[in-house]
Order: sequence, then structure tokens, then C-alpha cells
Amino acid sequence: MSRALRHSVILIGMLTCHVAPAFSQAADDAQRIVDEAERRATTTSERYAGALQSFNADGRTSEKRWMFERVGAHGESKSIIRFTEPPDVNGVALLIVNHPERVSDQWMWTPALQRDRRIAVQDRSTRFFGTDFTFEDLEERVADHSVHTLQGEEPIDGADAWRIQAVAKGSRPSQYSRQILWIRKDNYVIVRIDSYVKDEVVRQLRSSRIRQVQGVWTAHEMVISDLPRGTRTRLTLEKVEYNLPLRESDFTVQALRR
Amino acid sequence: MRRSLVLTLLIGAWCPAAWAQTATAPGFIEARGFLFPQDAPNDPTRAVSDWLWRQEGILRPTPSLQLVAGVDLRANTHDQIEDVWRIDWEDRHLRPPRMSVRRLAATVAVGRLTLDVGKQFIRWARADVLNPIDRFAPRDFTNVIDTEFLPVVGARSSLQLGPETVELVFVPRFTPSRMPLLTQRWTIVPPHMASVSILDAGSRFPEKPQFGGRWRHTGSRLEGGLSYFDGYNHLPVLDVRGGQPIFEAREEEVLDLPVPRQPVIIGRTPLVLTRIYPRIRTYGLDFAVPMPWLTVKGEAAYFLSRDDAFPEYGLYVLEIERQMGEWLFTGGYAGEVVTGEDRPLAFDPERSLARSFIARAFYTAGPQRTFTLEAVGRQNGEGFYVMGEYSHGFGEFWRITITQVVLAGDEDDFLGQYRRNSQLSAALRLSF
Repeated sequence: MSRALRHSVILIGMLTCHVAPAFSQAADDAQRIVDEAERRATTTSERYAGALQSFNADGRTSEKRWMFERVGAHGESKSIIRFTEPPDVNGVALLIVNHPERVSDQWMWTPALQRDRRIAVQDRSTRFFGTDFTFEDLEERVADHSVHTLQGEEPIDGADAWRIQAVAKGSRPSQYSRQILWIRKDNYVIVRIDSYVKDEVVRQLRSSRIRQVQGVWTAHEMVISDLPRGTRTRLTLEKVEYNLPLRESDFTVQALRR
Repeated sequence: MRRSLVLTLLIGAWCPAAWAQTATAPGFIEARGFLFPQDAPNDPTRAVSDWLWRQEGILRPTPSLQLVAGVDLRANTHDQIEDVWRIDWEDRHLRPPRMSVRRLAATVAVGRLTLDVGKQFIRWARADVLNPIDRFAPRDFTNVIDTEFLPVVGARSSLQLGPETVELVFVPRFTPSRMPLLTQRWTIVPPHMASVSILDAGSRFPEKPQFGGRWRHTGSRLEGGLSYFDGYNHLPVLDVRGGQPIFEAREEEVLDLPVPRQPVIIGRTPLVLTRIYPRIRTYGLDFAVPMPWLTVKGEAAYFLSRDDAFPEYGLYVLEIERQMGEWLFTGGYAGEVVTGEDRPLAFDPERSLARSFIARAFYTAGPQRTFTLEAVGRQNGEGFYVMGEYSHGFGEFWRITITQVVLAGDEDDFLGQYRRNSQLSAALRLSF
């Protein structure tokens, strides 16, 4: 996974990648590509300000802003999303504790109630705050979570890219039966993910405005579309920083209220 | 308090040079209207309007220090707000103050230790509707089914050791829950006492401090806590005196006639009501167990008191929760076990809501719209409450919330007694 991909994975979680046993050339090639992408993506921490615009089927929009911070990597990271706008969600915070071997734990802090609450995510396809991101999409996924197969090469947005299929392993179930990733050859950034339920594409992620930040190729805009509903959400990243001296103690349930 | 602030400021001076201090000033203005379709025997007013301006300031001068200050400014058309211009700090008056300090606290986080000092909210709750372990969370019951938590003044320290957290709380000054106003619809007077005047003799506030501690385990497969509280119940026992019948003067007594008559009651002496807050100890337990298909969660507390006027009892809530798409369903039971003398006359919505089935459904219809449906039904079928709420945000700043509450049941039941208080409310909020 590239660093930009890592970014996307942590943030959007749709980027399920896997290094499968090399039983076939396609799997072997996919493994090498995903390995390299992951190597390039590795950072110890991250912070950015996100602007989230949701467009419903009628084209009406709503906007939210959050601060995102992450510490750790490779499926053992912890992330906090703190909403800053609009005012009526200001202070709402979500803590995501990712585990390499199973689904994440998540807690929500609601300032109006002054209490934290464990998110009961029996259905990880639940949309986060009514956006097109699901709770599963917010989890970090690492290579071991899926089996990958190289399906060929296919240019995308004028750039050469590999087309790779990712299927979640049984130990880590997913709402998606499979995902198709497009990884650019020049910078190993995932620029598109089509997520399937059975044979239907239900969600599509497209990444753009790819720039280097501290040597990490980073997509600064991601648009996720819920195709059956006809809605989409655009996430724009600002003030992206990597490898900050963030404290583990700030990524706890107790710290959510601070 | 002053020493603590100095300490926090000194600690705050260790801020890393790269830290950019942050300051925010969230607030809102909300106008809310209530419509009651029915008169209440002691309160014919059926339309009430409430206004609230809440303004907070949050300053983080360093990563380790956060300062919070907040004030509320209120107005009301039905004499439910104190008609005095002053800044209230204590939240001890019968009516909500016109202007009050909602929060004024400093939070210092040094390594694994977090210290909160000042006027703040301390919540331990895990369940919905009924929270027996939430002993530092008094509430404003001016409207019994639309309550608001009140802050307490104290210090809270949290020490985190991996997944374990040990929390100690010290509250030097007691904050009571606010009872319904005696002359309004949320105070129900039995019909045979309807003509009796009630004299409010005030409250006997305890002067000793309160303590509490909680150990909390935050694990992936089990989350739980044990808590202890030594302080005062924020819900009052009512000491009611008077109400004795006044008899008509007997003619036989006046005229010395030989045949006596049945005495005729022509009135009663006024009821004199005093609120007393008994000293209690509680032992609490709470847990949440997330499972593949549902989450089981609950909380329980056992109440003990040396005060003869206060019984020994346990309250518990057991719930299951299930997320299905955009729906979140919660259902459960709130129970009570009485091991000592049964209840004195008290205003105690916690105990009064026990022995009930509770259910809640929450639906996220989109980024700006939510629906909530909540119901509480007594196990004996003598009272129930159903609340439906729709909330819709418009643009960045506006939100409208429409709430319909239906109350029904027998007059002897806590919920049923409010059967004439079903209500429709609409709130328009401007957040900034």
C-alpha cells in the first residue's frame, strides 16, 4: 500500500488489501504491488482537517468538518474523529481502535449528553452520521485482511494502473463480497475502489488531487458514492501532516471528553 | 479551587512550542413551544414557551490543559424561571435561574492522569432511560419527562492504566435535583387534597461533602465498571405535615343538645412540605458485552442509608441493543428490589420508573435528519409513556425538532398520574 493508500485506508477503510500466498502468478503480482503500496504508506501518525460534503439524490448538500488524528499503523492504530462544524455537532467525537485480527472497537462522545457510548456495530454497513461512509469504511484495514488477485492493467484518469480484486478473509467479515482496486503505477496510490455486494457495485470511491506531503503521495479529495441510493459524499483533506508526536494517552475513551 | 487553577496553569506552561492553542465558543439559541391538549386540575395553562441561550467558551492553551466556561440565559412564559437578575452558581433554587453558570472547569491531562476541577458534569451512566449509578448527575424535573442534567461543583481524577481506569470524585457542595413546581401541572395533588393549600417550607440541604469512586474496564469483548458512592440522594424525601381535617363546630357542643351528629369536615390545615436529602451509600455495577448479533448492557446499584426514613433497595436496568442499517434498537427492563422498609413519601422518578419495560428506536434518515421513538410501559400495565421525535437540520446553523409525548395510565401510577400532561413541542435552534 502506498502512503497515500495508507491514508485512504485509515480514513475510508474501503481499501482492503492482502498479501495472499503465492499460489498463482496473479496473486503473487498482486501481493508485490500491495506490499509496495503498504510500504510507501507507512507512517507512525497522521493529522488532517477534513471537510465532508454530502449530496443527496436531489443534489442538496450538507457539510460537516472534522479533525482526524491517528496514531499507530498496520491494523493496530487508534484514530479519533472530532467534529468541528456545523455547530450542532461540534465536539462530537468518535474513537476507533483498530485490531489486526478482528473488527474495530468504536466509541462515540456526545457533548450534549456528556457521556461516551460504545457503538454497537452489529451491522457494519451502517452509515456514519448519515454520510455515505459506513462504520466499516472508517476502520483501518491492512494487507492481511483480504486476498488479492491481479486482474490486469487498466488506465484510469489518464494514468496507468493495476486492477486488483480484494476479497475479505473469513476471519474478518465484510459487508462487501469483493472490491476492485485501481492502483496507479507511478505512485502506488489507489485511485478508485468499486465495492460489490454479490455482483452489484454498491459503493464507489474515487480519489483525486494527489500530492506529496512529507514524501507521502496523498489523495486530498475522495468522493464516495452510494450507487443504489444515488447519494455521494466528498471528503476534502486539508493541513495533512504525518509522523507527528501524538500521545497514545490521547486516544482513549477517557480522552474523548477532552 | 484557586490552588488547583494555579497548578493547572503551571502545568500548562510546559506546552510544546509547536502547539497552537485553540479556542472555540460554541453556543445556541433555542425557542421551544409546548402545547398541552388537556388542562391540569392545578394548572389551566396549555401553551408554554421556553427560551434558552447557551454560550460556552473552550480554551486549550496547551495539549495538557483545557479550560471551559459556559452560561445559560433563560426565559419562560409560564413563570417557570426565577424572576431575578443574578448569576446563579448553585442550582439550588426551586425555579431554574434566569442566568446560571453551566460549566466553569479546568481539565489537566498529565500522562495517564486526568484531573477535572470546577463546575462540571459527571456521568457514569451506561443504560438508557434509567441510570441508577449516575449519582453525581442531578436533573431538572421542572418538566418531568423532558429533563436536563445539572452540573455539580467538584473534582474528578481519572487514572488510566491500560484498559483499566480508576476514577475518584469529590463534591464538596451538594446539588439537588430540581422538583416540579408545586403550583404547576407536573405536581399532582390527590383529588381529596385538591382544596388544601401547600406551603413550601423549603429544603434541608446537607452540608457534608460527597465522595465516589469507579473502576472501569474498557475491553473489546467486555466493558464494565464497579462504582461506590457515599453522599446524598439528589432526589428528595418529602416531609409533609398538616392536612388535618377542620371540623364544623357542632351545634350540640354549642347548644349542649343531647343527640350528637356526625362531624362535618369543612377544610384541612395547609400541607407543609419540606425536602430532605438522605445520606446514602450506593454500590454500582455496569457492563456492556458486544456480541456478533447484539449488545447486552446494563447497570445496577444498591442503595443503603443509615437514615430510617430511607429504605434499602436495588435498582437495575438490563438492555439489549441491535444496530440494523440506519436503525438502532434498544429494549430492556428496569427493575427494583426492595430489601428494607418500603418507600417514604418521596419525589423519586428513578424508583418510580422501575418495574417497567423500556424500548427505544433511533433512525438516521440522512446527514441532517433523525427519528427517535421511545417507550416505557409499567409491567402492571398501569402507566406508559411514548415519545416520538423528529429532528431536521437546515443548512449549517438551524435545526427544528418536533416531539410528541403521550402519557396514559392510572392515577396511582407514577406515569399514569401525568395522563393529562401529554404534550406536543417544537424547538427551533440556532447554533453558532
